[in-house]
Amino acid sequence: MSKIISVHSFRGGTGKSNTTANIAALLAMDGARVCVVDTDINSPGIHVLFNLDETEMAHSLNDYLWGQCSIEEAAHDVTGHVGGEIKGQIFLIPSSIKPGEIARILREGYDVGLLNDGFRDVVDKLKLDYLLIDTHPGLNEETLLSIAISNALVIIMRPDSQDYQGTAVTVDVAKKLDVPKMLILVNKTPSSLDPNDVKTRVEQTYDAKVGAVLPHSDEMMSLASSGIFSIHFPDHAVTKGLRSLVDQIKS
Amino acid sequence: MGKPLFETALRELEERKDDIRPSDIVLFSEPLRSALNTVIRLGRFSLTEFTETLPFSREEVKRLADLLIQRNLFELSRFATEAEPYYQARLSAMTRPLKRPPSDIWKKIDD
Repeated sequence: MSKIISVHSFRGGTGKSNTTANIAALLAMDGARVCVVDTDINSPGIHVLFNLDETEMAHSLNDYLWGQCSIEEAAHDVTGHVGGEIKGQIFLIPSSIKPGEIARILREGYDVGLLNDGFRDVVDKLKLDYLLIDTHPGLNEETLLSIAISNALVIIMRPDSQDYQGTAVTVDVAKKLDVPKMLILVNKTPSSLDPNDVKTRVEQTYDAKVGAVLPHSDEMMSLASSGIFSIHFPDHAVTKGLRSLVDQIKS
Repeated sequence: MGKPLFETALRELEERKDDIRPSDIVLFSEPLRSALNTVIRLGRFSLTEFTETLPFSREEVKRLADLLIQRNLFELSRFATEAEPYYQARLSAMTRPLKRPPSDIWKKIDD
Protein backbone atom coordinates (compact mmCIF):
# COMPACT_ATOMS: atom_id res chain seq x y z
CA MET A 1 0.00 0.00 0.00
CA SER A 2 1.34 3.43 -0.93
CA LYS A 3 2.33 5.92 1.74
CA ILE A 4 2.10 9.70 1.77
CA ILE A 5 4.92 11.34 3.73
CA SER A 6 5.08 15.05 4.54
CA VAL A 7 8.42 16.63 5.32
CA HIS A 8 7.99 19.80 7.30
CA SER A 9 9.82 22.37 9.39
CA PHE A 10 8.41 25.32 11.25
CA ARG A 11 11.21 27.58 10.18
CA GLY A 12 13.18 27.91 6.95
CA GLY A 13 16.80 26.88 6.45
CA THR A 14 16.55 23.62 8.36
CA GLY A 15 17.50 21.45 5.36
CA LYS A 16 13.96 20.34 4.58
CA SER A 17 14.29 20.09 0.80
CA ASN A 18 17.70 18.43 1.08
CA THR A 19 16.28 15.87 3.47
CA THR A 20 13.24 15.24 1.27
CA ALA A 21 15.46 14.65 -1.78
CA ASN A 22 17.70 12.28 0.17
CA ILE A 23 14.76 10.30 1.56
CA ALA A 24 13.40 9.99 -2.00
CA ALA A 25 16.76 8.81 -3.33
CA LEU A 26 17.29 6.26 -0.55
CA LEU A 27 13.78 4.84 -1.00
CA ALA A 28 14.29 4.62 -4.77
CA MET A 29 17.69 2.96 -4.31
CA ASP A 30 15.79 0.20 -2.50
CA GLY A 31 13.52 -0.22 -5.53
CA ALA A 32 10.56 2.01 -4.60
CA ARG A 33 8.60 4.20 -6.99
CA VAL A 34 8.71 7.63 -5.40
CA CYS A 35 7.33 11.04 -6.31
CA VAL A 36 8.35 14.30 -4.65
CA VAL A 37 5.95 17.26 -4.78
CA ASP A 38 7.39 20.70 -4.18
CA THR A 39 4.50 22.50 -2.46
CA ASP A 40 6.82 25.30 -1.36
CA ILE A 41 5.24 27.44 -4.05
CA ASN A 42 6.47 30.70 -2.54
CA SER A 43 10.13 29.68 -2.60
CA PRO A 44 10.63 26.55 -4.73
CA GLY A 45 14.07 24.96 -4.83
CA ILE A 46 14.09 21.18 -4.63
CA HIS A 47 14.35 20.87 -8.44
CA VAL A 48 17.96 22.06 -8.12
CA LEU A 49 18.87 18.99 -6.04
CA PHE A 50 17.43 16.78 -8.79
CA ASN A 51 19.29 18.71 -11.49
CA LEU A 52 16.04 19.58 -13.21
CA ASP A 53 16.59 22.64 -15.36
CA GLU A 54 13.85 25.21 -15.89
CA THR A 55 13.92 24.49 -19.62
CA GLU A 56 13.04 20.84 -18.92
CA MET A 57 9.97 21.77 -16.86
CA ALA A 58 7.24 21.30 -19.43
CA HIS A 59 4.68 21.70 -16.67
CA SER A 60 4.78 22.52 -12.97
CA LEU A 61 2.50 22.22 -9.96
CA ASN A 62 1.31 25.75 -10.75
CA ASP A 63 0.01 24.59 -14.15
CA TYR A 64 -1.91 21.79 -12.46
CA LEU A 65 -3.43 24.19 -9.92
CA TRP A 66 -4.53 26.49 -12.76
CA GLY A 67 -6.12 23.59 -14.64
CA GLN A 68 -3.58 23.72 -17.46
CA CYS A 69 -2.37 20.13 -17.13
CA SER A 70 -3.08 16.92 -15.26
CA ILE A 71 -1.05 16.16 -12.15
CA GLU A 72 0.85 13.34 -13.88
CA GLU A 73 1.77 15.68 -16.74
CA ALA A 74 3.48 17.89 -14.14
CA ALA A 75 5.54 14.90 -12.90
CA HIS A 76 9.05 14.66 -14.36
CA ASP A 77 11.03 11.44 -14.26
CA VAL A 78 14.32 12.51 -12.66
CA THR A 79 15.70 9.03 -12.00
CA GLY A 80 18.50 9.50 -14.52
CA HIS A 81 19.38 12.94 -13.15
CA VAL A 82 20.59 11.89 -9.72
CA GLY A 83 23.39 9.43 -10.52
CA GLY A 84 23.99 6.39 -8.34
CA GLU A 85 22.34 3.01 -8.65
CA ILE A 86 18.60 3.61 -8.48
CA LYS A 87 16.57 0.39 -8.70
CA GLY A 88 13.24 2.17 -8.47
CA GLN A 89 12.05 5.39 -10.02
CA ILE A 90 11.94 9.02 -8.88
CA PHE A 91 9.46 11.57 -10.14
CA LEU A 92 9.43 15.25 -9.25
CA ILE A 93 6.51 17.66 -9.47
CA PRO A 94 8.30 21.02 -9.30
CA SER A 95 6.80 24.38 -8.48
CA SER A 96 7.34 27.03 -11.08
CA ILE A 97 10.42 29.23 -10.71
CA LYS A 98 9.14 31.89 -13.09
CA PRO A 99 8.76 35.14 -11.14
CA GLY A 100 5.45 35.96 -12.81
CA GLU A 101 3.97 32.57 -11.97
CA ILE A 102 5.10 32.77 -8.34
CA ALA A 103 3.66 36.28 -8.10
CA ARG A 104 0.40 35.16 -9.69
CA ILE A 105 -0.15 32.30 -7.26
CA LEU A 106 0.68 34.51 -4.29
CA ARG A 107 -1.73 37.11 -5.50
CA GLU A 108 -4.60 34.95 -6.67
CA GLY A 109 -4.23 31.97 -4.39
CA TYR A 110 -5.61 28.56 -5.29
CA ASP A 111 -7.91 25.92 -3.93
CA VAL A 112 -5.90 23.59 -1.71
CA GLY A 113 -8.57 20.98 -2.42
CA LEU A 114 -6.85 20.56 -5.79
CA LEU A 115 -3.72 19.47 -3.93
CA ASN A 116 -5.86 16.94 -2.05
CA ASP A 117 -7.14 15.53 -5.39
CA GLY A 118 -3.75 15.75 -7.08
CA PHE A 119 -1.90 13.86 -4.33
CA ARG A 120 -4.37 10.99 -4.50
CA ASP A 121 -4.47 10.95 -8.32
CA VAL A 122 -0.71 10.91 -8.76
CA VAL A 123 -0.33 8.02 -6.31
CA ASP A 124 -2.74 5.96 -8.46
CA LYS A 125 -1.62 7.07 -11.89
CA LEU A 126 2.12 6.67 -11.32
CA LYS A 127 1.60 3.54 -9.19
CA LEU A 128 3.68 5.05 -6.42
CA ASP A 129 5.01 3.37 -3.31
CA TYR A 130 5.72 6.75 -1.70
CA LEU A 131 4.57 10.30 -2.26
CA LEU A 132 6.84 12.80 -0.51
CA ILE A 133 5.47 16.29 0.10
CA ASP A 134 8.07 19.01 0.55
CA THR A 135 6.00 21.59 2.42
CA HIS A 136 6.28 25.31 2.90
CA PRO A 137 7.83 26.24 6.29
CA GLY A 138 5.42 27.32 9.02
CA LEU A 139 1.77 26.42 9.25
CA ASN A 140 -0.90 27.30 6.72
CA GLU A 141 -3.89 25.57 5.14
CA GLU A 142 -1.75 23.71 2.57
CA THR A 143 0.57 22.38 5.25
CA LEU A 144 -2.32 21.29 7.45
CA LEU A 145 -3.89 19.54 4.48
CA SER A 146 -0.63 17.74 3.72
CA ILE A 147 -0.30 16.61 7.33
CA ALA A 148 -3.98 15.63 7.53
CA ILE A 149 -3.73 13.19 4.62
CA SER A 150 -0.22 11.87 5.36
CA ASN A 151 0.61 8.47 6.78
CA ALA A 152 3.88 9.78 8.16
CA LEU A 153 5.32 13.17 9.03
CA VAL A 154 9.00 14.04 9.29
CA ILE A 155 9.56 17.27 11.24
CA ILE A 156 12.97 18.82 10.80
CA MET A 157 14.53 21.10 13.37
CA ARG A 158 17.94 22.41 14.33
CA PRO A 159 19.16 22.49 17.92
CA ASP A 160 18.25 26.17 18.11
CA SER A 161 15.92 27.97 20.54
CA GLN A 162 13.65 29.39 17.81
CA ASP A 163 13.35 25.96 16.21
CA TYR A 164 12.54 24.38 19.58
CA GLN A 165 9.55 26.67 20.08
CA GLY A 166 8.25 26.42 16.51
CA THR A 167 8.62 22.65 16.47
CA ALA A 168 6.45 22.46 19.59
CA VAL A 169 3.63 24.11 17.63
CA THR A 170 4.02 21.72 14.70
CA VAL A 171 4.14 18.66 16.95
CA ASP A 172 1.01 19.81 18.77
CA VAL A 173 -0.90 20.30 15.51
CA ALA A 174 0.33 16.98 14.12
CA LYS A 175 -0.90 15.21 17.25
CA LYS A 176 -4.31 16.82 16.80
CA LEU A 177 -4.35 15.55 13.21
CA ASP A 178 -3.52 12.01 14.45
CA VAL A 179 -0.61 11.44 12.08
CA PRO A 180 0.00 7.69 12.30
CA LYS A 181 3.78 8.10 12.36
CA MET A 182 5.69 11.20 13.41
CA LEU A 183 9.49 11.37 13.38
CA ILE A 184 11.62 14.34 14.34
CA LEU A 185 14.90 14.85 12.54
CA VAL A 186 17.40 17.04 14.36
CA ASN A 187 19.62 18.49 11.66
CA LYS A 188 22.88 20.45 11.57
CA THR A 189 23.86 19.45 15.10
CA PRO A 190 27.20 21.01 16.15
CA SER A 191 29.96 18.55 16.99
CA SER A 192 30.10 20.05 20.51
CA LEU A 193 26.74 18.43 21.33
CA ASP A 194 26.34 14.75 22.20
CA PRO A 195 23.80 13.31 19.70
CA ASN A 196 22.40 10.93 22.33
CA ASP A 197 21.81 13.81 24.75
CA VAL A 198 20.12 15.82 22.01
CA LYS A 199 17.90 12.85 21.13
CA THR A 200 16.86 12.31 24.75
CA ARG A 201 16.18 15.99 25.35
CA VAL A 202 14.11 16.43 22.19
CA GLU A 203 12.10 13.25 22.83
CA GLN A 204 11.36 14.37 26.39
CA THR A 205 10.45 17.90 25.31
CA TYR A 206 7.95 16.88 22.62
CA ASP A 207 6.94 13.39 23.74
CA ALA A 208 7.67 12.33 20.16
CA LYS A 209 10.16 9.98 18.53
CA VAL A 210 13.43 11.32 17.16
CA GLY A 211 14.22 9.52 13.89
CA ALA A 212 17.81 10.73 13.67
CA VAL A 213 20.23 13.36 14.92
CA LEU A 214 22.40 14.48 12.02
CA PRO A 215 25.70 16.27 12.51
CA HIS A 216 26.52 19.57 10.88
CA SER A 217 28.47 18.66 7.76
CA ASP A 218 31.03 20.71 5.86
CA GLU A 219 30.68 18.24 2.98
CA MET A 220 26.96 19.07 2.77
CA MET A 221 27.82 22.77 2.63
CA SER A 222 30.45 22.14 -0.04
CA LEU A 223 28.02 20.12 -2.15
CA ALA A 224 25.84 23.26 -2.06
CA SER A 225 22.68 21.56 -3.32
CA SER A 226 24.39 20.54 -6.57
CA GLY A 227 23.37 16.93 -6.00
CA ILE A 228 21.97 14.42 -3.56
CA PHE A 229 24.22 14.00 -0.56
CA SER A 230 23.55 10.31 0.14
CA ILE A 231 24.57 9.45 -3.44
CA HIS A 232 27.75 11.54 -3.32
CA PHE A 233 28.70 10.49 0.23
CA PRO A 234 27.22 7.01 0.80
CA ASP A 235 29.39 6.25 3.85
CA HIS A 236 29.05 9.61 5.62
CA ALA A 237 27.48 9.86 9.11
CA VAL A 238 24.73 12.07 7.66
CA THR A 239 23.86 9.38 5.10
CA LYS A 240 23.83 6.72 7.82
CA GLY A 241 21.42 8.84 9.86
CA LEU A 242 19.20 9.40 6.83
CA ARG A 243 19.27 5.68 6.06
CA SER A 244 18.12 4.97 9.62
CA LEU A 245 15.30 7.51 9.21
CA VAL A 246 14.22 5.85 5.94
CA ASP A 247 14.19 2.44 7.60
CA GLN A 248 11.87 3.84 10.27
CA ILE A 249 9.60 5.38 7.63
CA LYS A 250 9.39 2.03 5.84
CA SER A 251 8.78 -0.05 8.95
CA MET B 1 -23.08 8.73 27.53
CA GLY B 2 -22.86 9.28 23.75
CA LYS B 3 -25.72 11.80 23.73
CA PRO B 4 -23.88 14.91 25.04
CA LEU B 5 -20.92 14.07 22.80
CA PHE B 6 -23.22 13.75 19.80
CA GLU B 7 -24.92 17.03 20.61
CA THR B 8 -21.54 18.76 20.90
CA ALA B 9 -20.41 17.34 17.56
CA LEU B 10 -23.69 18.32 15.92
CA ARG B 11 -23.50 21.84 17.34
CA GLU B 12 -19.90 22.30 16.20
CA LEU B 13 -20.84 21.38 12.64
CA GLU B 14 -24.05 23.40 12.64
CA GLU B 15 -22.26 26.49 13.94
CA ARG B 16 -19.88 26.43 10.99
CA LYS B 17 -21.50 28.32 8.16
CA ASP B 18 -18.58 28.08 5.70
CA ASP B 19 -16.81 25.13 4.15
CA ILE B 20 -14.70 23.09 6.56
CA ARG B 21 -11.03 23.94 6.11
CA PRO B 22 -7.98 21.92 7.21
CA SER B 23 -7.48 24.33 10.13
CA ASP B 24 -11.04 23.67 11.38
CA ILE B 25 -10.29 19.98 11.90
CA VAL B 26 -7.65 20.83 14.51
CA LEU B 27 -10.23 22.78 16.53
CA PHE B 28 -13.04 20.21 16.60
CA SER B 29 -13.62 18.39 19.89
CA GLU B 30 -13.27 14.67 20.41
CA PRO B 31 -14.45 12.22 19.18
CA LEU B 32 -15.39 14.18 16.05
CA ARG B 33 -11.81 15.27 15.36
CA SER B 34 -10.33 11.76 15.47
CA ALA B 35 -13.17 10.36 13.39
CA LEU B 36 -12.65 13.00 10.71
CA ASN B 37 -8.89 12.46 10.76
CA THR B 38 -9.46 8.75 10.14
CA VAL B 39 -11.84 9.14 7.20
CA ILE B 40 -9.85 11.98 5.62
CA ARG B 41 -6.87 9.60 5.44
CA LEU B 42 -9.08 6.83 4.07
CA GLY B 43 -10.31 9.13 1.28
CA ARG B 44 -13.32 6.96 0.34
CA PHE B 45 -15.37 5.16 2.98
CA SER B 46 -18.85 3.87 3.77
CA LEU B 47 -21.33 5.04 6.37
CA THR B 48 -20.63 1.78 8.22
CA GLU B 49 -16.91 2.63 8.36
CA PHE B 50 -17.63 6.19 9.52
CA THR B 51 -20.01 4.84 12.19
CA GLU B 52 -17.23 2.54 13.46
CA THR B 53 -15.10 5.60 14.24
CA LEU B 54 -17.73 7.22 16.50
CA PRO B 55 -19.61 6.12 19.65
CA PHE B 56 -22.94 7.17 18.07
CA SER B 57 -25.79 5.33 16.39
CA ARG B 58 -25.82 4.89 12.61
CA GLU B 59 -28.70 7.38 12.35
CA GLU B 60 -26.77 9.98 14.36
CA VAL B 61 -23.66 9.48 12.26
CA LYS B 62 -25.77 9.84 9.11
CA ARG B 63 -26.96 13.25 10.42
CA LEU B 64 -23.34 14.31 10.88
CA ALA B 65 -22.42 13.03 7.42
CA ASP B 66 -25.29 14.99 5.86
CA LEU B 67 -24.00 18.14 7.56
CA LEU B 68 -20.47 17.39 6.39
CA ILE B 69 -21.79 17.17 2.82
CA GLN B 70 -23.38 20.61 3.26
CA ARG B 71 -20.04 21.94 4.56
CA ASN B 72 -18.28 20.45 1.53
CA LEU B 73 -15.98 18.14 3.47
CA PHE B 74 -17.81 15.01 2.27
CA GLU B 75 -19.16 14.20 -1.16
CA LEU B 76 -21.52 11.35 -1.81
CA SER B 77 -19.54 8.81 -3.82
CA ARG B 78 -20.82 7.32 -7.05
CA PHE B 79 -20.54 3.93 -5.33
CA ALA B 80 -23.24 4.95 -2.84
CA THR B 81 -26.46 2.96 -2.64
CA GLU B 82 -29.58 3.64 -0.62
CA ALA B 83 -28.65 0.88 1.82
CA GLU B 84 -25.00 1.85 2.14
CA PRO B 85 -23.93 5.43 1.45
CA TYR B 86 -20.30 5.85 0.42
CA TYR B 87 -18.51 9.17 0.81
CA GLN B 88 -15.33 10.87 -0.27
CA ALA B 89 -13.61 13.24 2.13
CA ARG B 90 -12.08 16.24 0.42
CA LEU B 91 -10.34 18.98 2.37
CA SER B 92 -10.46 22.28 0.61
CA ALA B 93 -9.76 25.98 1.13
CA MET B 94 -8.69 28.96 -0.91
CA THR B 95 -5.24 30.19 0.08
CA ARG B 96 -6.21 33.73 -0.97
CA PRO B 97 -9.57 35.26 -1.81
CA LEU B 98 -9.85 35.91 -5.53
CA LYS B 99 -10.69 39.61 -5.65
CA ARG B 100 -10.24 40.41 -9.29
CA PRO B 101 -9.85 38.51 -12.56
CA PRO B 102 -6.32 37.75 -13.74
CA SER B 103 -4.86 40.41 -15.98
CA ASP B 104 -1.91 40.11 -18.37
CA ILE B 105 0.43 41.54 -15.71
CA TRP B 106 1.90 38.08 -15.09
CA LYS B 107 2.90 37.67 -18.71
CA LYS B 108 4.49 41.10 -18.63
CA ILE B 109 6.51 40.17 -15.56
CA ASP B 110 7.72 36.99 -17.29
CA ASP B 111 8.61 38.95 -20.43
